[in-house]
Amino acid sequence: MKKLSYRVEHVTLYEYKTPVTLSQQLLHLTPRSLPWQQCETHALAIEPKAAEYVEREDFFGNRIVQFAVRTAHEKLRVSADSTIHLRARWDELDVKSSPRWEGVRDRLRDVTQPPLLDPSQYLFESPNVELAPALTDYAIRSFPAGRPLLAGAMDLMQRIYQDFDYDPAATTVATPLAEVIADRRGVCQDFAHLMIGCLRALGLSARYVSGYILTEPPPGQPRLVGADASHAWVSVFCPRTGWVDFDPTNKLLPDLEHISVAWGRDFSDVTPMRGVILGGGGEQELDVSVTVTPLDEQDIAPANKPGAALPGQ
Amino acid sequence: MPRQLLAAYPQEGPHFDEMLEAPLKPRPHWERLFDHLVGAPAGRMRNTLQSVERQVYENGITYNVYADPQGLERPWELDVLPLIISPEEWSGLEAAIAQRATLLNRILADVYGPQELLREGRLPPALIHGHAGFLRPARGLPAPDKVLLHIYAADLARSPDGRWWVIADRTQAPSGAGYALENRLVISRVFPELFRDLKVQHLADFFRTLRDSLAHWAPHDDEAPLVVLLTPGPYNETYFEHAYLARYLGFPLVEGSDLTVRDGCVWLKTLTGLQRVHVVLRRQDDDFCDPLELRSDSALGIAGLTDAARRGNVLIANALGSNLLESGALLGFLPGLCRHLLGEKLRMPSVATWWCGEPAALEQVIDRLDKLVIKAAYPQLRMNPLFGEDLDDRQRTELVAAMRARPHNYVAQELVRLSQAPVWDREHPRRLQPRSIGLRVYACASPNGYVVMPGGLTRVSSADDSRVLSMQRGGSSKDTWVLSNAPVSSFSLLRRAIGPQDLVRSGSNLSSRVVENLFWFGRYAERCDATARLLRVALTWLIDDTPAHHDAEWPAIISLCRARELLDPEVDPEIDPLDDVSLQQALIAATLDESVPHGLAAHLRLLFRVAFHLRERLSLDNWRTLNRLMQEMARHAQGGSSLTEVLSQLDRSVVTLMTLAGFTLDGMTRDLGWRFLSIGRRLERLQSMSLTLSQALAHARDSKESDLDWLLEVADSIITYRSRYMSRPEWLPVLDLLVLDESNPRSLRFQILGLYDYLVRLSETFGPCEAESLEPLIARLHALDAADDLRPGGKTLPALLADLQRLAHQLSDRLSMRFFSHVSENRQAFSR
Repeated sequence: MKKLSYRVEHVTLYEYKTPVTLSQQLLHLTPRSLPWQQCETHALAIEPKAAEYVEREDFFGNRIVQFAVRTAHEKLRVSADSTIHLRARWDELDVKSSPRWEGVRDRLRDVTQPPLLDPSQYLFESPNVELAPALTDYAIRSFPAGRPLLAGAMDLMQRIYQDFDYDPAATTVATPLAEVIADRRGVCQDFAHLMIGCLRALGLSARYVSGYILTEPPPGQPRLVGADASHAWVSVFCPRTGWVDFDPTNKLLPDLEHISVAWGRDFSDVTPMRGVILGGGGEQELDVSVTVTPLDEQDIAPANKPGAALPGQ
Repeated sequence: MPRQLLAAYPQEGPHFDEMLEAPLKPRPHWERLFDHLVGAPAGRMRNTLQSVERQVYENGITYNVYADPQGLERPWELDVLPLIISPEEWSGLEAAIAQRATLLNRILADVYGPQELLREGRLPPALIHGHAGFLRPARGLPAPDKVLLHIYAADLARSPDGRWWVIADRTQAPSGAGYALENRLVISRVFPELFRDLKVQHLADFFRTLRDSLAHWAPHDDEAPLVVLLTPGPYNETYFEHAYLARYLGFPLVEGSDLTVRDGCVWLKTLTGLQRVHVVLRRQDDDFCDPLELRSDSALGIAGLTDAARRGNVLIANALGSNLLESGALLGFLPGLCRHLLGEKLRMPSVATWWCGEPAALEQVIDRLDKLVIKAAYPQLRMNPLFGEDLDDRQRTELVAAMRARPHNYVAQELVRLSQAPVWDREHPRRLQPRSIGLRVYACASPNGYVVMPGGLTRVSSADDSRVLSMQRGGSSKDTWVLSNAPVSSFSLLRRAIGPQDLVRSGSNLSSRVVENLFWFGRYAERCDATARLLRVALTWLIDDTPAHHDAEWPAIISLCRARELLDPEVDPEIDPLDDVSLQQALIAATLDESVPHGLAAHLRLLFRVAFHLRERLSLDNWRTLNRLMQEMARHAQGGSSLTEVLSQLDRSVVTLMTLAGFTLDGMTRDLGWRFLSIGRRLERLQSMSLTLSQALAHARDSKESDLDWLLEVADSIITYRSRYMSRPEWLPVLDLLVLDESNPRSLRFQILGLYDYLVRLSETFGPCEAESLEPLIARLHALDAADDLRPGGKTLPALLADLQRLAHQLSDRLSMRFFSHVSENRQAFSR
């Protein structure tokens, strides 16, 4: 079986105009351990030094870190450095032989049978996924009567890839889904929310996966440090098969180039770094850089300008 | 006589009548009240009505109506007549409510714990995962004795057959218990004999149980637990109640920014440092409580609170996530859950409620839509109830489509025809009117099980829609009298209901925010006083139209008005002199119009706002005094007030401000809060008096004709002057009195020496506090030469006055920076 190893460096740097006297942060930066994914090493460095530091598991089983910095600072740097081994997820995945989507929907909403506890968490609206009627209209074209669930999801993923433009300037963390649908542009996070919304609008169970993707440098050029970014995709619940991941940003089924960090109902459950600060008036600058390196690669050139957070295309 | 009383009151009808069991025949437990009403002379009833209105108004019992453009401060609606419940009936209600609280607590403990109810299919997942109130980070938080629901309220209604039904459960942060208490205070006063003779059960024991139980479960070792009441702030609809309960229970009233989490513990930020908090009794919605783990857009929360609870270092009541139970969808499952969890039959049924998430229920609901009221299954959907019978065809079609698209978002409830009770008609004070009522009852957890408050908040529908009980939508309220067969306990938590109570409770848990507000209370009170006195002088001189006035000191007065921005400072009087009529208009506007930024009305509004934040620290008397002034100002601001009326309003303002000032002298404990209030007052007066004197000197003519009465009036020193000199005011003695005389509480020296003293006292607690920055100015004041400097035309005094103004300004800034700057807002940030 094919097996690949990666090193992932994820550096977040905040710069503030005036000193921050108290910073409390919550991190979702530790990759999950999964049947196809082993997190061999994981090191977290925080500068300035954290006065408080707690690790625990969140509601969804993700590893999280909560810390507080109490010394006045104008820069906060958090870097996560992980070594990950991946193996192929599926011996064989035949989307055409998955169950009819309506059957899955009916089973998920059936209150007379013992509930499907895990998938039933991901059926409803969540903070970033508001179920607008436009979602149903868009989604239903991929789900004609009787179509196998995974075939429908595949079709939906392809349509999102075709119909929506990748445009980092178009949206922010706060852009609502309705606007993404109307403008037909966004980034991986928006496409993941969109696809999740489409599936939930039809009564299907879908969750948000945050992680990293390996990007290939242009032919003949060395890999640039910090050229990558956090990535996000979708996982769909399918009876018998379990959760199947779809990456609508790249129109592919995640396998050996997707590293899963955390999952939840949407971005708000798994924000890589979220926090509350005291002080730091005015604008704050945020610089995120992610470098995913296959471990057999030797030559890694420093980037001219690290941190131009390029999309995970 | 009963006939006259009941002339407008239906004797029979489709409703259950709380008072009458047959035409003209009251139920036995209503007889005493009924006879009292029949026998009372019209004059006495009118007095009673007025007394209730006056108490509500003067005690400042308010309710904030969100839709009201005026925003804050609508008087609480309270009917004179209580709802009376017999002892027999109450014991049934009490048992049912305690059982229901027990059941709901068990459900909550399971959903945030092992989730067996979900696993066994006894609760559909949609009720949990579809509910925005299910707070995932709250799962597994420790709950001592498995109590998550500390305070519970149920909304009850009585159907025509006399049975009580639960319409809704309140599990987040039930409101109204404080209003019930306040209603009791007012109504028991207007019917003291009835109240005693009927053996009405007292409410205080319930609150004592609440207080003792919270202390019992508080995580603490040896120290006495500190319980705080967390409010979202004065803009919340029931802020009055938060302040009232905090004062009643003796808990500091705090906002999120007063608390901080450090090393997994919650701390109150006080001037003297951090004070450990053991219990947070919250009136803030749970999802807003922690921007780090819960809603990140909450500016009101305390970052890290959830983790403090997770580590068992703080008790949060109700537990985070308790909002989950506020769902109509749950009601239909309660009978089964009660049998399963408690092994008992549910004592009081919920109003028949169908959750449309069950396909069979959906179809039934659609068939019977006309007879049902449709509500959101989850509070996050923020939908007003829709009465099926009110819908036209199009609305009906739309609703059905929406319900079919998202059936789990809807519940349908049978309409209960509410019972009716009499209210006193304000228009015809000899006649009772019927109104629909509902009863909100309260329970609190105790180590011995749930205790039910013997009383409650009776909510009265508006005359327009007898189906809706909502204070937000024009309803009213009643006191609720639960009668007893046994002697009643007369324990009361109120130390003194009304009295010259201290503005600041002594004790170290004074939060920095409160101290900042006290500082500004001092400054604004003084600023209002100075403004009102100047306006009074200016308007009086304007009426007193003798040419001498205009010639002599008039320019100084006008120039001071400009310097204080009571008149537009941009307009140069030399180029554009105002005629008397426009001047009078401008001065009246500066008195009454809040949109004049530095006018009296605007400053009073600021004072009132600060006082509002200090609400739980102001005695009722003070609050009444200030409240009455604000109401009068508002009345005059509507226009049509004559100059005479404006002047007498200025007189009343000055008197009110003197009363407040007297209270700070005479009614406050000399703690840190008082010291900051006094510093604020002295600083303001120093600034204001320096400004006044410099303007007076700048426009002075050094002639024997100078008329300095105005200056003594502005400085409130006229009596002293006259008692000393018995002659027309002249510059030398006037300046001596206002600048140098240490015994005059208006003099500059008095202010600065007082300030120096306070700062030295502060430095005992906090280290050096800028006192030394006053020393050079004190020395310069001391060095003034009566003969050379205390006259117009000199150079020394004006320079000193300018420096004193600058000093006051800088000192205020520096104190704010040092003591209040950490009262800043949190900010949120995410990485993508």
